[in-house]
Amino acid sequence: MNQEIFKINNLKKSFGTHQVLKDISFKVEKEEIISIIGSSGSGKSTLLRCLNLLETPTSGQITYLGQDILKPKFDINHYRAKVGMVFQSFNLFNNLSVLNNCIIPQETVLKRDHETAKNNAIQNLQSIGMSQFLEAKPSQLSGGQKQRVAIARAVSMNPDVLLFDEPTSALDPEMVDEVLNAMKKLAEIGLTMIIVSHEMQFVKDISHEILFMDNGIILEHGSPYQIFEHPKEKRTKDFLKRFLKNV
Amino acid sequence: MKNVKRTKLILSLIPLLFTLFFLSRPVYAETKEFKVGMEAGYPPFNWTQVDNSNGAVKIEGSKQYANGYDVQIAKIIAKKLNRKIVVVKTVWDGLSPALTSGKIDAIIAGMSPTPERKKTVDFSKPYLVSKAVMIVRRDSRYAKAQSIQDFKGAKITSQLSTFLYDLIPQINGVKQETAMNDFNAMRSALQSGVIDGYVAQEPEGISVQNAINSLKMVKFAPGKGFKTDSSDDASAVGLKKNSPDLEKINQILAEISPKQREKLMKWAVTHQPQSHEKKTNWFINIFQKYGSLLWQGTLTTLWISLFSTIVGFFIGLVIGIIRTVPLSKSPAKRLGQKIINGFFWIYIEIFRGTPMMVQAAIFYYGLAQAFKISVNKMAAALLIVSINTGAYMAEILRGGIESVDPGQREGAMALGMSHFQLMRKVILPQAIKNSLPAVGNEFVINIKDTSVLSIISVTELFFNGQTIAGQTYQFFQSFFVISIIYLFLTFTITRILKFIERKMAGPKNYNLMANQIQV
Ligand SMILES: Nc1ncnc2c1ncn2[C@@H]1O[C@H](COP(=O)(O)OP(=O)(O)OP(=O)(O)O)[C@@H](O)[C@H]1O
Ligand SMILES: [Mg+2]
Repeated sequence: MNQEIFKINNLKKSFGTHQVLKDISFKVEKEEIISIIGSSGSGKSTLLRCLNLLETPTSGQITYLGQDILKPKFDINHYRAKVGMVFQSFNLFNNLSVLNNCIIPQETVLKRDHETAKNNAIQNLQSIGMSQFLEAKPSQLSGGQKQRVAIARAVSMNPDVLLFDEPTSALDPEMVDEVLNAMKKLAEIGLTMIIVSHEMQFVKDISHEILFMDNGIILEHGSPYQIFEHPKEKRTKDFLKRFLKNV
Repeated sequence: MKNVKRTKLILSLIPLLFTLFFLSRPVYAETKEFKVGMEAGYPPFNWTQVDNSNGAVKIEGSKQYANGYDVQIAKIIAKKLNRKIVVVKTVWDGLSPALTSGKIDAIIAGMSPTPERKKTVDFSKPYLVSKAVMIVRRDSRYAKAQSIQDFKGAKITSQLSTFLYDLIPQINGVKQETAMNDFNAMRSALQSGVIDGYVAQEPEGISVQNAINSLKMVKFAPGKGFKTDSSDDASAVGLKKNSPDLEKINQILAEISPKQREKLMKWAVTHQPQSHEKKTNWFINIFQKYGSLLWQGTLTTLWISLFSTIVGFFIGLVIGIIRTVPLSKSPAKRLGQKIINGFFWIYIEIFRGTPMMVQAAIFYYGLAQAFKISVNKMAAALLIVSINTGAYMAEILRGGIESVDPGQREGAMALGMSHFQLMRKVILPQAIKNSLPAVGNEFVINIKDTSVLSIISVTELFFNGQTIAGQTYQFFQSFFVISIIYLFLTFTITRILKFIERKMAGPKNYNLMANQIQV
């Protein structure tokens, strides 16, 4: 068995009286790629945001490499540098060039010297085909280009895990593939990833394990084959049917 | 280590506070100097002139000189006391506070020893006694008045917070108008027909007749005039309670004979500043004669506005950063944050919700009276305008910070950047750029609003304009010139700021870097 990265136990999250995550438990192993699917409002983003501590869980445990990340004195910023996140809305720094978007976080958080950070940034930008745009500002890029920069920025931190929250949902259809290809490359080099996506073919191809979320719980989980070909739950079947029809 | 940046930011404000603190100094009795407070704008008692002719005395902290009956009396006293005379130009209402707070040693400003004033100020024996008279238009039906009762139905006023104003109800059926700030205002009100007359003392009567042909002084025979307390007609030297100088000064004044006093008053009336230069163009005349006053006022106004805008910007920046720190999870820290934010909120509300003029007056006079610390006028001005601007800047910068979309903040947080790191590298560069037009606007507003500092007698542009108007009696003309200068300043600065904004917008295009990759 591979090294265990995440262990999530009885995780609950409420916003006021609205319980969004009801009782979530699962594990993530090193180099594993886990995809989370489910209908809108089922709590997928909330789950990822809890993992990155952008939201504070109401109760439950999350351990990362064996340590409790919810304990009071936990060094959140150091942890976040190890657990990167890619957002639906890119969240690039508009005041910085493409290159500096990838350099500044390395310098400020990881205290890397400028040369090291720069070389690392250029390498990562190059491998996703963005090396022509080093001096461009985010506002001068297309959606697909922005998301590729966001991925390069996250990868430049040399994280242990990357969380993706619907990275292609805000993109025009013709740009979806360039981003998915970038993610496939990361899969090939063995990066641990947790992906929320509605790109079913991609999810089926890339994942080791799929979680189907429904109304705040993991209703069903299994290999892509189990989930896509032999779903046990009626709601999983309905979801997939609805989804495959829409595609 | 995490807190080092934050501490640095706060520490960087300390030198500023220290500077202001050292500019202020504790009050102690000067043994060598004799500091005399007066308006230096109340001829023939006291006035301001630009040179030292006719035995004028330099005004402290300015390039101007004071002269007049009071100045000459003050010189005699200082000489016999064996001390060096220093004239401190102070607005009328600021005289008593200045004395009690130790900014001046004596008031010699044509002030009467009224019972009201005697509560806070000790007075010498009078150095001048003069009857109350009425100033009217020469062509009006009041010009031939014999008794004060002839002013039935007339619109009469006098100077604010003087006994003269309280005499007016002795006229049966009079229409008492709102009191005015100074004689210059009353003169022009009378000339323009807003009032029918104003109550003054004889020296003002003599000088107004000399200066303005169309105005005339009406004297009253004994029994026909105002009934006054003898303390009201007199001018005396105001001293701090239980001042050791009192005996000495009374002795010195007793040695000045009535004849000498009369001579001195005639001299003062004939030498007081008047506008004789009717032949040259008034516009050019004001610039020629008062160019240095205008220039110095302009520089002061610019300096206060620029300094305060910059300091206020940093105050606003620090508050903006601290106020947007996400609330901590630990209850104790969270309480601390709420208290600090509450404190900032109070500061912003108070300074945005009260007039800067009132803030300046409270700070300058109140602090001196309550805590016996005397702050130098300029330091008080810089401090008040800075703090005031800071309150506005805090709101401007908060708006700027909130205008940066929250996604960028989340993006930075998800990378592990701390609040201060993401503020410095991501949010603030954008927030400041977004706020720049509003910040520039604050600068322009400050240029105009520093005019309220005349309340604490800071010699900025408007205060100097008042002085010029008072000297020349050319109210419209003087303030017209002043407004042109203000307009020139604000217009030019607005252009410069626009230019800077355009520069900061940066280039619209980027170059593809096909050949420059070195990995
Ligand atoms: N900050 C918040 N405050 C209150 N309610 C929230 C908050 N964030 C999410 N929710 C609610 O939690 C529920 C789950 O939201 P979440 O974004 O996790 O769903 P999702 O599965 O990611 O949906 P989608 O596929 O549309 O992205 C929704 O009903 C949403 O309204
Ligand atoms: Mg979502």
